[in-house]
Parts: sequence; structure tokens; C-alpha cells
Amino acid sequence: MKKWSVRLAGATFAMAAAWTLSGQGLPVTSERLLKAADEQGNWLMYSRTYNSWRFSGLNQINANNVKNLHVKWLFQGRHIEKFETTPLVANGVMYLTRPENAIYALDAATGRQLWAYEYRNPARTFNCCGKVNRGLAILGNTLFMNTLDMHVVAVDARSGHELWKTEMYDYTAAGGYAAPGAPLIVKDKLIVGMAGGEKGVSGFLDAYDPKTGKRLWRFHTIPQPGEPNFGTWDGDSWKTGGVTTWNNGSYDPETNTLFWGTSNPWPDYNDDFRKGDNLYSCSVLALDPDTGKLKWHFQFTPHDVHDWDSTQIPILLDTQFQGMNTKALAWANRNGFYYLIDRTTGKFLMAKAFVKQTWAKGFDDNGRPEVIPGNEPTPEGNDHTWPGIDGGANWMSHSYSPLTKWLYVFAREEHRVFSKNTVPHPTTETPDRPVAAGTLPNAGAYDPGLGGARTQQVGGPEESWGKVIAVDPGTGNVKWEHKVLTPPWGGVMATGGNLVFGGTLEGMIFALNATTGERLWTFSANGPVFASPISYTANGKQMVSIPAGDVIVTFGLD
Amino acid sequence: MLSRIFLGLAASAALLAAQNVQNQALTGEAARSAEIAKTNPFNTEADVQQGNALFQVQCTYCHGARGEGGRGADLTAGVYKMGGADPDLFKTVRSGIPGTEMPASRLTDDEIWKMVGFVKRLGSRGLSEKAPGDAAAGKALYAKNGCAGCHRIGDEGVDLGPDLSDVGRRRGLAFLEESLVKPEAFVSNTFRAVQLVMKSGPAVGGIRLNEDDLSVQLRDTNGNLRSVMKDGVKELRRDKPSLMPSYERLSKTDLTNLVAYLNSLKGAQ
Repeated sequence: MKKWSVRLAGATFAMAAAWTLSGQGLPVTSERLLKAADEQGNWLMYSRTYNSWRFSGLNQINANNVKNLHVKWLFQGRHIEKFETTPLVANGVMYLTRPENAIYALDAATGRQLWAYEYRNPARTFNCCGKVNRGLAILGNTLFMNTLDMHVVAVDARSGHELWKTEMYDYTAAGGYAAPGAPLIVKDKLIVGMAGGEKGVSGFLDAYDPKTGKRLWRFHTIPQPGEPNFGTWDGDSWKTGGVTTWNNGSYDPETNTLFWGTSNPWPDYNDDFRKGDNLYSCSVLALDPDTGKLKWHFQFTPHDVHDWDSTQIPILLDTQFQGMNTKALAWANRNGFYYLIDRTTGKFLMAKAFVKQTWAKGFDDNGRPEVIPGNEPTPEGNDHTWPGIDGGANWMSHSYSPLTKWLYVFAREEHRVFSKNTVPHPTTETPDRPVAAGTLPNAGAYDPGLGGARTQQVGGPEESWGKVIAVDPGTGNVKWEHKVLTPPWGGVMATGGNLVFGGTLEGMIFALNATTGERLWTFSANGPVFASPISYTANGKQMVSIPAGDVIVTFGLD
Repeated sequence: MLSRIFLGLAASAALLAAQNVQNQALTGEAARSAEIAKTNPFNTEADVQQGNALFQVQCTYCHGARGEGGRGADLTAGVYKMGGADPDLFKTVRSGIPGTEMPASRLTDDEIWKMVGFVKRLGSRGLSEKAPGDAAAGKALYAKNGCAGCHRIGDEGVDLGPDLSDVGRRRGLAFLEESLVKPEAFVSNTFRAVQLVMKSGPAVGGIRLNEDDLSVQLRDTNGNLRSVMKDGVKELRRDKPSLMPSYERLSKTDLTNLVAYLNSLKGAQ
């Protein structure tokens, strides 16, 4: 009898432990999200906190002991596409997305799988740059994911059970829509962006009810007839002007403002039919998250012809600017300039190049660039314009450390060819271009392809490279630079241990001294890093996770 | 007789009707197979040039500006994983290759045909040209100049430089001559040379096989595989991207003959 009691007690304990693991940390309330910085062991949203610092205050791993960092576990994705996801961690459970819209819940201490959810996309989707997904949002007991076929799905974080699914838009419309980014919860709303800026779509940002999936508002990123700023597009080009919202945003609770960056205008490199500033392309939008109403906008690159999206993650920080404490928006843009903007008004404060650039000689008081002629794409190929097509920064996260008060940017010095090809205009030429029957779900739809870019890179590593830079946000001055072999596709994360983590295209994962830029530790994962790191605790121990290729690599000290 | 003809017509009509129904039901691969021309209908010189322009836009990031490969397959070899017939290439470009990074294209049919025309040209550049020189004399020059010390033809030679077994099919005459006279004019990423000046010990030179921020892997000039940690390197030089010496000193006749020999190398096919 006693033996049975012991066994029963053991079984009960085991069940309780298992239940505790998967249920602990839920629900994640909107109040917890507002105070996400305080939950040192967790990573509850894409950029960890609403100010998008991608800063972990954890300091168990620091400059003194980082040399002892080693692999604790791997998660094998077993897929062709690379991981671009930022996992979430809530009290010992890691939630991550795999390309093509699968969700996994793992024990964050061991990497062992708890459950999996697989969304079934159609065979053909219209993502521009791989069948990728960048992560999840969480509220209550529910995880939210965007899909390649333009749906939003809600999944029970305890079981992987699908709760609802809402179609955002017809994914086969125009040249094809997709939604590869991570959503963002703001108060009681789920904010969702979309992609397709290379395919003649019409961009928007949506808000949904997290409980039901009902759409609450839609902000059109190209002003519609009758709206302010309509008329910055030539003719009907606004109808297919792109301007998508394919990355994540930030939120300032103090002013109740949602910040979100927008993509390039379409056609990317051929502006024959879209004269004008092409608002709100290559801009940051400041929106009221309750209503979706625009408070202000700032356009970084008016009338872009280089595919310099402004879909970088907005970083909200308070800094000294010309001796004044300033509530700022710090933005290292794809066009090669670092900007400081007053986030309460949208007023331009300053801009300074952080990579080689040849296209602007300065800015007027409103932040409008003084463009140097001769940098436009040409039919024969312009190979003298810097930065390149993928820009000085791209979608990968930057990080801000409140310890050093510096911004860390994994910047790209890339030499490419800008070529302007003839792109038939969809509203002036027949949309029914012949396509073999059955080859496409929307056969006959106009397809702009890449919009007229010659995409080859010029030269090898001697012509293009990457660099982690520490930027003083108030001046744009670079405090240090750490050069790497090739332009990166991964982001960086600063930590309370005064380290900066990141990974290269060759798969070298590194930790730098946040004060000096000195490289203190490396690990050769040998899979390209197309994502940004996170840090969390499992059983009280600090861990660092970063995807490399199709593997999530997680490091710890002991 | 009339009734038999009528019956035959009726049967044909029924068959056609059935085929129509079937065609309506066809999707995906079946539909593509049913409608793709057996030979490329867009194969004029102008079409191929337009195909080149499209190729430069759509394909060069992976396949290289000259189709030499890199992230994607080498298209100069004239050997295609998914088949080299016109309809095969059309389907490969149209639908991509499942399980690889080769995506489906959403260009129109005529644009794809033009690209197919250009891609086939890439893989058979040497077949369309007749070399004027004496291939036998060129073969003797190949031996005399020690080309086999770096290149392979069939079972002969080594792998420091590109395999030349089928170079006469893959490369045109002008390219071959340029490679001999100005070898640095085009060096594919897989044969880029580096020279490493070490902090201590002798310098190391060879063909870069791989590289990251920590180390560089190379095949040295003796054919040995080497891996060198960069913290032991004083200087990493890339200013001489080709290990191949220039044969500009050859007479015009010798050069023409050597090109003729290389042009005669069509591989096993």
C-alpha cells in the first residue's frame, strides 16, 4: 500500500511538473506586455519590448565568462528555407515559427518539442524572398501568426489547437500578396502587416480582434481618393503602388502611438509611371492604435527608385539632442542614413550616413534629402551608387542598450548594380498576359517580377562587407565598428552583460564587447544567420538563442 | 458507308468532348505538359538577346552573370538536372525545382521561352561556332605549356583550375581566347585565388574554397587542401584573382590552334 502511494504521488508529481511547464507563464496579459522589460527571463514580443530595443537585461553571461559559452541544445527545422524567426519565451516554454507557417512549442531548457501546429498553405504562394516567417505574437493563452497566403491564425499556446483563422486579403490578387512578418499585440488589438511590394499590390496595415479574428480597422498605406496626401502618385499608379508593411512595429504607451515602417513604391526601379513623392512609401507611420488613424508620417526616401524600404524596426528612445532631452525615434534606414526624429511630433531632427552613400548631399529642415543626380537605375546598369539594393540596413533588428546608451546596428556595405528594365504598367497594358493554363492559381494576373532590377552583386568580399557599429543616437556618431566578411542578414541583441550578440551570413555566431566592439567569443554554426538573437532564462539560467540556417542554436554557460 | 462515317464522326466528337472535359479538369503538371510546345517558338537571335536581358534580371543572383553558377547550378555545362529538352527547361523555369531554392517564375510564356533560348545558348556556346585553327597543333601546345599541371581533361591532369573536359561545348571561341590572354578578365567565384602572408612561416597561396571571419579554406598550388585560421594571417591578398598565367606571348597562330583544341573538347556527351 505504501509502495502504491509513493508511485501515485510520483505520478501525480510528474504530471504536475509537465502541466506546470506548458501552462506556466500564461496568460500573457496586455499589462504584462506593457511591462515586458521587467520579465527578465521572458521574451514576450518580437523585439522583446514595445520600444523595440531588443535588449535583454540578463547579465549572467558577460564579458568575463562569455568565453565559456557553449551549445546547450539544437532544434532541427529540417526544411529547405532558412529560419528568419524570433522565438517567444514565456516562463520556460519557447514558441517559434518554422518557414511555411508551422508553430512549435519547445521546452526552453532542452529544446524538446511539446507540441506542433502546421498551417497548410497552398502549393503556390507569392512571397518575394523565400517562404519564410518571422515570428509570433502572444496574448492571453493565444499565439498569433501571419501566413504566406494572407491569413492570420490564432492557436492555443497550451495545445497548438487552432482557434480561428481570418483571411486578410486575396493572396492571388495583383501580382500576389503574402504576410511573412510577425504580428504585434497592442492593448486589445492584433496589428498585422503584409508584403508584396515587388508585385504591384496596394499596401495596408490591419488590426484584428484577438478573440474573434474580426478586422477592426485597416490603414491604407497609399492614400485613397479623398484622403489627405492623395495625389502624390502619377495617374493611376497609386492603385498598384506597393507600399507594404512587411516587418514589425513599435508602440509608445505614453502617447498611445503605434509606429510602423513602410516599403518601397512599385515598380521598384522603374518610375516612368509613378512620378511624385509616392506617399506613404519608404516612411514611418505614427498611428492611433485604437482607430488606425494617422497622427503623422515622415518619409525617409521620397520617390524611391532603389528599393530602399523603410521597414526597419522603429526604435523608441530618449536621448540628448543638441543639449535637450528628446523623446526620439532612432532609425538606421536602408537608404544608408541614420535618422533621429521627434517621436511626439514627427519632426526631423538630424540624419547622418552610417554606410557609404552617394545619392544625397544633405537634407533640408524637414528632412527631405537633397538628391544628387545620376544615381538612378539605368538600362545598362548603374554600378556606382551606394548603398546597394539591399541597403545599409534591411529588416534585421538593431538593438539599443540603456547601459552604454548606444544603438547597435549590423550594417551592410554592399556594392550592387541598379538596372532599370522595361516594366509594362499594369493599368496601361493588358493584364491578361498569356500564361500557360494551370500553371498559376491566378493565371492571367499581371506579374511584375522584380520590377526591373539586375540583382547581381558586384565583386566579392573585397567590394562588399558588413559591420556592427555602435552609434551615439543623439549625434549619429559611430563610437566603434566591428567589420565582418560579408553584408549581414542577421540582427543584433545587446544584453545586461554588456555584450552584443549576432551572427554572420557564413554562420559565425559572435559576442562583442558592447563598449569596445572587441570580439570576445565565436561559434561556427556554418548555417547562414537570417534572424536576430534572443535571450531568456530556463531554470534560472541565462540562455541565448539564434537561428542559423535551418537550426535554432541555444547557448548557455553550464 | 455513310452511317459508318457518321458513327466515326460521332465517336470522334464524343472523344473530343471527353477530352475537352478532361482538359478542363487538368491542373498543374498535366496542364503544363499538355500545352507546352515541343520546340522553342522564340528562338531568333533577338529573342535570345531578350532572354539574356531577362536572365540578367531574374537569374544572375544565383546562376551568375555568365551562367557560371554559384548559389545556383552552373548553366554553362549544358547538363540540366530536370532535363535539357526545350519543354523540360520551360517547365523548370516556369515551376521551379521542388525541394531546392530554384523558385517558380511568373513571367509570361514567351518571356520564359526567350530565357530558355538564352540558357540553352549558355550551355552550348561552343557548338555553334567553328574554330578556324588546327586542333592537333593546339593539343601539342597544351602539352608543351604544361596546362595539365592545373587543368583536367578527362582522366588527365589535376583540379587546381577549371575542368576543361567539355569546355569546347560550354564556352565560345572569344571567351576561350580571352581566358588565355587575360585570365583575370573573368574568374568564377569557385576559382578565386588568394595569397596569405602569414605572421610566421611561409606564405600560402591557392584557390579559395571557403571563407568566413575566422578562417579560410583553400587548395594550395600543390593541390593540397589547407585550412588557415585568420588570426595567424598577417595579410590576406585578393588582388590577383587568377592563378593562371597569361599566354599573351603565344603567336597568333599558336593561340588560334590552342583555342581550336579547347573548342574540340566536347566532353563525354
